[in-house]
Amino acid sequence: MSELIWFKGGRIAAEDSAKLEQLDVLVEGGKIIRVAEEVKAPEGAEVVDCEGCVIAPAMFDVHVHAREPGREDKETIETCSEAAINGGVTGMVLMPNTLPAIDSGGLVQSVLDIAAEKSRIPIWQSGCITKGRAGKELAGIAGMKSKGVPVITDDGDSVADPMVLLRAMQYAKRFDLILAMHCEVKELSGFGAMNEGVVSYRLGIPGIPACSEEICLDRDIRLAQYTGARVHIQHVTSARGMETIRRFKEEGVKVTCEVTPHHLLFNEEHIGDYDTHYKMNPPLRTQKDNELLLQALIDGVFDVIATDHAPHTEFEKNSDFVSAPFGITGLDTALVSLYHHYVKTGIFGWDLLVKRYSAEPRRLTNLEPVPVVEGGVAELIVFDPNRKTKFTRDFMKSKSSNTPFLDQELDGQIISVIRDGEFLLNR
Amino acid sequence: MAETEIKSRKDLLDIESLSIEEIEYLLKTAEPFKELFRRSVKKVPTLRGKTVLTLFYEPSTRTRTSFEVAANRLSADVTNFAVSTSAVVKGESILDTIETLQAMRTDYIVIRHGASGVPALIAKHTRASVLNAGDGFHAHPTQALLDAFTVREVYPETEQKRILIVGDILHSRVARSTSTIMRKMGMEVGVLGPGSLVPEGRPDYMKSFWNWEDALAWKPDVVYLLRVQMERQEQQFFPSLGEYHRVYGLTSERFKRVEGAGIYLMHPGPVNRGVEIVDEAMAYERCLINQQVENGIATRMAALYWLKPGEENER
Repeated sequence: MSELIWFKGGRIAAEDSAKLEQLDVLVEGGKIIRVAEEVKAPEGAEVVDCEGCVIAPAMFDVHVHAREPGREDKETIETCSEAAINGGVTGMVLMPNTLPAIDSGGLVQSVLDIAAEKSRIPIWQSGCITKGRAGKELAGIAGMKSKGVPVITDDGDSVADPMVLLRAMQYAKRFDLILAMHCEVKELSGFGAMNEGVVSYRLGIPGIPACSEEICLDRDIRLAQYTGARVHIQHVTSARGMETIRRFKEEGVKVTCEVTPHHLLFNEEHIGDYDTHYKMNPPLRTQKDNELLLQALIDGVFDVIATDHAPHTEFEKNSDFVSAPFGITGLDTALVSLYHHYVKTGIFGWDLLVKRYSAEPRRLTNLEPVPVVEGGVAELIVFDPNRKTKFTRDFMKSKSSNTPFLDQELDGQIISVIRDGEFLLNR
Repeated sequence: MAETEIKSRKDLLDIESLSIEEIEYLLKTAEPFKELFRRSVKKVPTLRGKTVLTLFYEPSTRTRTSFEVAANRLSADVTNFAVSTSAVVKGESILDTIETLQAMRTDYIVIRHGASGVPALIAKHTRASVLNAGDGFHAHPTQALLDAFTVREVYPETEQKRILIVGDILHSRVARSTSTIMRKMGMEVGVLGPGSLVPEGRPDYMKSFWNWEDALAWKPDVVYLLRVQMERQEQQFFPSLGEYHRVYGLTSERFKRVEGAGIYLMHPGPVNRGVEIVDEAMAYERCLINQQVENGIATRMAALYWLKPGEENER
């Protein structure tokens, strides 16, 4: 590998500019040393022809289930990080709902040790709010913080007892930790497996009403307002819930929130004839919710896009709808699917993608964004809008392929991913 | 059998996907089968050499027996595949079971399962014709067909006739399938039940009533009582069986009004006497419960007759 890499003729995407500027980029050893209309590269520079391509800061995902330790049959940190790279993601925050749940500094360290050995991208491990995610006693918060945990969460479940959550907020606030909340009133969700409404009636599947999420979300933000803690609302699905967040934000409450690609793109109707690739928790809602969530993303209500990458084996998903586990993968597919459905069609621009899936997720994790500017770190992707991506099992690097995009062909392809002066991907 | 042949299907999974022509064809086909029951020899050789497998993940005596009798009268060989009904059977074991069934080269599979969508899952993976004998809260298509057949016997013109379905709509596959078929046959559908058992997302055509007074004022032609699912009381949906009977049950007083108006009574069985229906209503001459049972055999014969399994080499 040559020391110097010359990205020639690409158009640069940035979070603060709707226009893509055609500029050459010269990278040396992990640094961007020159961004200009026409760079005169020295002899021996490796040339990457970016004619017609977009050069963008690499993506960052704050909501990923790598399944290690405990369910390595679904995913490992190694396969998960490869899926991330395949999808243009060069950093991610792993959820702690593994087996065992990551609820102490020692367990955080054990994951980081595996990551150091197996992952080609940096990984941040989040910790539990409560021991074993049981919702009763506080987890080892100071210990986890000392191992670099940026966020604590009992993701997969809400913290059911509001007093436990209140204490957790008061405590975690002094460690400058964000609490990421999975919002669900379990008693209201019951045995539900999909959104409660016309489709659940037709399919005879027990429903999860949107108010199960909305009530908990409202409660969690009110507790944050009261305690002054920073909360992050995970995977918002309902327009009414989103409106609650918007209102509290306007009041100045320290709340951030995320939306997943699937809650933007799909709704309960996609379940069709019991397709378990559309089963996740919180569930897909209605077409109206899709429209309103998309508008809220454009309006800036959502701070970040995150995938909630949730691998499951084919065996588990190839089951009846009620028995099949909740969740779909997302790392391999997120960027291309968002490009295909929204950027290519002009619904939003690369600036939004960069802001919401690269810059803001890094800020949320207390990291600096990685804009493609002179003097910046070279952590970027080259995206060719003229190529296509077919999401075959072979193409996807996740160990599981439980995604609605399986075997779909979409416009656009990530052709290179560069980090630390190295090509992590070069197609 | 019927004058115009309608193209066969491989599976019978729900009512929603059936066209009105297919429904009419099935009802028509059931007629001569019912005639057959009056003869001394009740068997026809239609399915000789074919095998029918019954696979019931939920306990059921009536439906299973009805299918067995139907298959026997078509001269098919019937096997009962014994599955555990005691524990909650997880989806995982179903896929393994499918492999086993595939190896048995059975032609028809009659399945009942507690989870909605399981018959569809099995149908996708096997060449055999799958008959849904009830899945979760989703569908019970042969019950709907026998109900439609029974209504047709008393009302040859079903257009604009009114059926009132009473009870636990939320957990009822019978309510879903039977309301769908009645609607397809041009009937008006009303439901009456406790607010906690009449589900969100029900179709707009369903007229909802919350007391008998309003429901009877609507002048239904048929009252269809659903079984109160005593076993589904792990969550409380109404305060007590006594209160249920007083508010939503067919009490003596209400039965007198039903009788006075000449309204037909139906029930999918088995009946909880004294809960959803009073004793004396069982002896009412317009109580169609026994006809429903008899018609169940005829319509299930029609369904078996109509379905065609996939080719040997197909999955």
